[in-house]
Amino acid sequence: MPTLVETRDLSKRFGGLVATNRVSLAIEQGEIRGLIGPNGAGKTTLANLITGIYPPDSGDIRLAGTGIAGLAPHAIARAGLLRSFQVCRIFGNLSVRENLLLPYLARRQGGGSSAEASTRAEEFLAITTLDRLADQPAKRLSGGQRALLQVACGFMVPELKCYVLDEPFAGINPVIKDTIIELILSANRARGVTFLIVSHEMAVMRRLCHRVTVMIEGRVVVEGTLEEVAAHETVIAAYLGKAFV
Amino acid sequence: MFSTELFLQTLISGVMIGVLYALMALGITFIYSIVKMINWSMGEFYMIGSYLQYVLVAYWLGPDLWYLAVPIAAAGVFVLGLALEPILIKPMFRQALERRDEYATVVTIALLLLLRNLAIGLAGPNQYSPGSTLPTVMLGPLPVAGASLAASLCALLAVALFYLILKQSWYGLALRAVAQSRIGAQTAGVDVFRLDQIAFGIGVALAGIAGALLAPVFLVYPANGVVTTVKGFEIIVIGGLGSIPGALIAGVLLGVVESLGAAFVSAPYQNVYGFLLVLLVLLLRPTGLFGERGRQA
Repeated sequence: MPTLVETRDLSKRFGGLVATNRVSLAIEQGEIRGLIGPNGAGKTTLANLITGIYPPDSGDIRLAGTGIAGLAPHAIARAGLLRSFQVCRIFGNLSVRENLLLPYLARRQGGGSSAEASTRAEEFLAITTLDRLADQPAKRLSGGQRALLQVACGFMVPELKCYVLDEPFAGINPVIKDTIIELILSANRARGVTFLIVSHEMAVMRRLCHRVTVMIEGRVVVEGTLEEVAAHETVIAAYLGKAFV
Repeated sequence: MFSTELFLQTLISGVMIGVLYALMALGITFIYSIVKMINWSMGEFYMIGSYLQYVLVAYWLGPDLWYLAVPIAAAGVFVLGLALEPILIKPMFRQALERRDEYATVVTIALLLLLRNLAIGLAGPNQYSPGSTLPTVMLGPLPVAGASLAASLCALLAVALFYLILKQSWYGLALRAVAQSRIGAQTAGVDVFRLDQIAFGIGVALAGIAGALLAPVFLVYPANGVVTTVKGFEIIVIGGLGSIPGALIAGVLLGVVESLGAAFVSAPYQNVYGFLLVLLVLLLRPTGLFGERGRQA
């Protein structure tokens, strides 16, 4: 499989802190890649760099071979690289339906068929079982429903190539967690969507991810299946302390 | 001293002028919610709207076609806003500025001085009036100046149109999203910088409409936007920064309080009653009637 998302020597500093240190990562087309590591390892920074929230200090990011480093976030989103946030960024004052419509319509600055847009929104309202709440302001949703809505918003975009999910399962009940997992797996199978998933939930990562990348203190330490990675000395030392190695 | 008739008349004139103040406040609060800056030069866009209205009515359309001049004047101010935003406001976001609020304050106050002096240079310090042929209307037993009534009805129409755009159009949806989270909207694919430009255009156009509508009532001169701008900011404090219903309700409230104060307490202090209302609101509800407590990320 060809590489879809690639970073080369990606570095970002915040003052004296090197948040990501020459991170090189290659995610294949159609892959579900996990990104794990202790708190402060630079996972969210990497997600922010890839999706253009801030520009890298040095290094390169490519989406299907095209350089995207330094592009504005909306340009990256329109190129098919979307993301969800750890701190949920749904729009509380918009209705649930409007939240779904926004990324779909934004692709063409509001152009395109509004009938198609609403058909697609209905589809995802049904899948997420949020249809009863479709016209409610999204701030009325529970925490889990918000997380579900946020993930579903990205799937509204037909051109979605790669979806970066930052802690999509944190603090969510098992039923909604399963719905999100189903959404991810079906988009991966049916639409060939590639994923980069940041999560601490090892059970879910084992179910979902073909391979995982481990970051520690801003660097990529090891890459492989979850089993391979979990047996790695540096990883055990970082999570549990050197005494356990 | 007190009569029901006088009370009703002042109430009506208060509501009428309040709607126009609200238009001004709406522009300030709208630009603030999208672009996250206070535009101190709102009054100058009001002034430009009034000059455009005067030129259109006096030299081209005539006082009978004033209602055609209003949308043209508004469109003129809108286009001016679209043209100025990328030059003056956008650098606020592009460079990693440490003090955005200070930047916006300095730039818009400089713009205020430039535009006001430009008006003095081009048209002199004179007062112009586009005149109005609208007859006095009787609301029941009460006479109401035709131009004032027309102005407030048109202001209501402008507010309704603004609301419709915000609720029904793609741009409205995107603008409401940007008002909540710039980053969230950007990662959903919304070009936030383009929306900044449109929001600035719409915001100053609201001031321009107020200027055009009030041209026959408050006249046309270089500093004619000052009073309405001050009222606009009073309304923002009363209603709560960033709240659209707050701007509308506080606008009408301010108009009514000022009119009633002028009629029943003392007319020369008309502009003071608004400030008393502001003080009262700050004491009892510092976030304004509809404001939400601010959070700094």
